Parts: sequence; C-alpha cells; structure tokens
Amino acid sequence: MKTIFRISIALLYCLFSISISRADGIQVDKVYHPYVLANERELEWRFTSRQNDDGNVLAQRFAYGHAVSEYVTIEGYIVGERDDIGDFGLQAYELEVRWMLTDQGELWADWGMLFELEKQHKEDIYEFTSGLLFEKEFTQTSLTINALLVYEWGQNIQDEFETEFRLKYRYRYLPALQPSIEIYTGEDFIGIGPGFMGVHRYQGQKQLKWELAFIAGLNGDSKDHTLRFALEYEF
Amino acid sequence: MNKVIGALTLCFGLFCQSLLAAVEEYHVQLKDHLFFPSQITIPANQKVKLIIYNQDNTPEEFDSFSLNRDKVIFANNKATIFIGPLQPGEYDFFGEYNPNTARGSVIVEHQKQKAADAN
Repeated sequence: MKTIFRISIALLYCLFSISISRADGIQVDKVYHPYVLANERELEWRFTSRQNDDGNVLAQRFAYGHAVSEYVTIEGYIVGERDDIGDFGLQAYELEVRWMLTDQGELWADWGMLFELEKQHKEDIYEFTSGLLFEKEFTQTSLTINALLVYEWGQNIQDEFETEFRLKYRYRYLPALQPSIEIYTGEDFIGIGPGFMGVHRYQGQKQLKWELAFIAGLNGDSKDHTLRFALEYEF
Repeated sequence: MNKVIGALTLCFGLFCQSLLAAVEEYHVQLKDHLFFPSQITIPANQKVKLIIYNQDNTPEEFDSFSLNRDKVIFANNKATIFIGPLQPGEYDFFGEYNPNTARGSVIVEHQKQKAADAN
C-alpha cells in the first residue's frame, strides 16, 4: 500500500506540472533513469555544446554522487559555462537528490523522483527542479521519460514555473553499445536525435558509463544542433 | 472531461490491482560466493520474484544485462528481484564481487500442460 501511495502522489504531481509553461535555457541534458544502486558512488563529467543562430553555448558539469540508502542517492555538481564574451568559467552549483519509488520490475513500470537545487555563481538566481522519472521495459528495449517542473526565483530573474520533458527509447543491444532515440522539449524548443550509451566493467562495482547524443532542434531556427556527452565512473 | 477522469480512474484501478496480484516466488541461496540453485527455471511470459538470501559475510551484487537487473544483496541479508515477463530462453546472471564463482542462469520455458489437461 505504501507503494500505491507513493505512486499516487507522484502522478498527481505530474498532472499538476503538465499545466505549467515550458522551460527555457539548455534543455538537452541527461535523461534520468529512476534507479538507485545501494553503496554506489560516482564521479561524473557532462559536456553539452549547442550551436544555433545566436552562436555556441558550451556547458560542462562535474559531479560527485553517493547513494545514501537503497532508494536515495545524492549528487553535488559544479557547473561551468562559456559566457557572452567567450570566457569559460564557474557558472553554478547544484545539489541533486534522486529517489527510487519502486523496485525495478515490481510494477508495470518503474518510477522515481528527481529534486535539484541550483544557485548561479555571483548572481541571485535560484532554480528548483523536481519531477517524475519513468522507465518501462519492452523486451530488449527500454522507454525512459522525465517530466520535470522547474521554479526559478531571485533578484536577477523573473520568478516563474516552467516544465521540461525528456524521453529516451533505448535498445539494449550490448552492454558496451546501446543505441537510442532521444527527445527533449522546453520553452520554444523541441529537439530529437540519435543517442548511444555503453558500460565498461572493471572489477567489483567499478564501471565506466558513457553517453553520447546529437540532438537537432525542430523549433524553427535555421541551425540548432546540440551535442551532449557524459562519462560516469562508478565505484 | 468526465470520460478522461473515468479513463484515468480505470487505469489507476487496474494499476492498483496489478500491484496486489500474487507473484510466484523463487528462493535462491548465496553461500561461499555460489548461487544455489545456480539454474532457476521459470515460466515464460510471467513475472516472478527471486528472493536471494546472502549467507556470506560480504555483500554481493546481482548483475545481469540480459535480465536488465542490478541489485546489491547485503551480507547476511536478503534481496528481492522482480524479473519477467520473459520470452523462452536462457538469461545469465553473476555476482559482481565474485564473478568467477557466483554465476547462474534463469531458464525461461513455456509451462508444460498439467496432468489434468492430459487426461
């Protein structure tokens, strides 16, 4: 019954968030899986480069994460971005909590929740993201969906709610090579493109995961491409 | 609008029913970094529950790419892993901390007709 209660809350939350406007900024980011592995620690590096009519936006994230229980993991990020004059520097700090609501395979689909708090460096801008993580297996393929609600506030930004939607449909071909199709939506942005991920195992719990995707924006700009790459070392 | 609410209620009811449906259980022991039994035969197209008892004094991690499962089993503790519905075939699994010894497979077969059916 506890599981039913958790899922009910999560679904109500999702229905509420659908009615809010959509998010701006760089929408192409990680599609989160709803799973947490006990004892897991990880170092992560993410790289995102978006090229459109306004130029190039480059962002990098460095993170350390630690599972604090069988169902909850916490991750801290340092975010770097290239600014308007081309200098790359510290942009923001972020704290992320991922909560696995159901055991994998327990229900018709697997559910989790995501909570992120971000503070812009040297600016009074805050962002709180929360959302529902969903994954469903269809034989050798997996459909992963993130429905996120973002609230931005602070002296240097207009307070507002936004939403983001991310989707990944992955074919679990080999551990080292799992092709996918990814879709991202946000304010004035709809993007779609191919993605790839893979895992290389070392001894014990040590493994290296990689992700690569090339997302083409369909929102009307003559040029809008985003390349994203991520490396995760789990130990 | 009422139709949408009705459909959502129906979906949620079916969802809750699926939560409460009985799932067949299979029990596996992990001792001296070996799985007993190392081969588990389960019916095709049916979700089952593996309950793994780790009798060792060290944790183990159940891992299977073909089953798409990854779960830590703490020392002297048990873990529940839901698998399926699966197509007939053999699905390997191993313990990440002792991959040379802790190995096994799940054999998925179509259920044989019951004796009563034969008569």
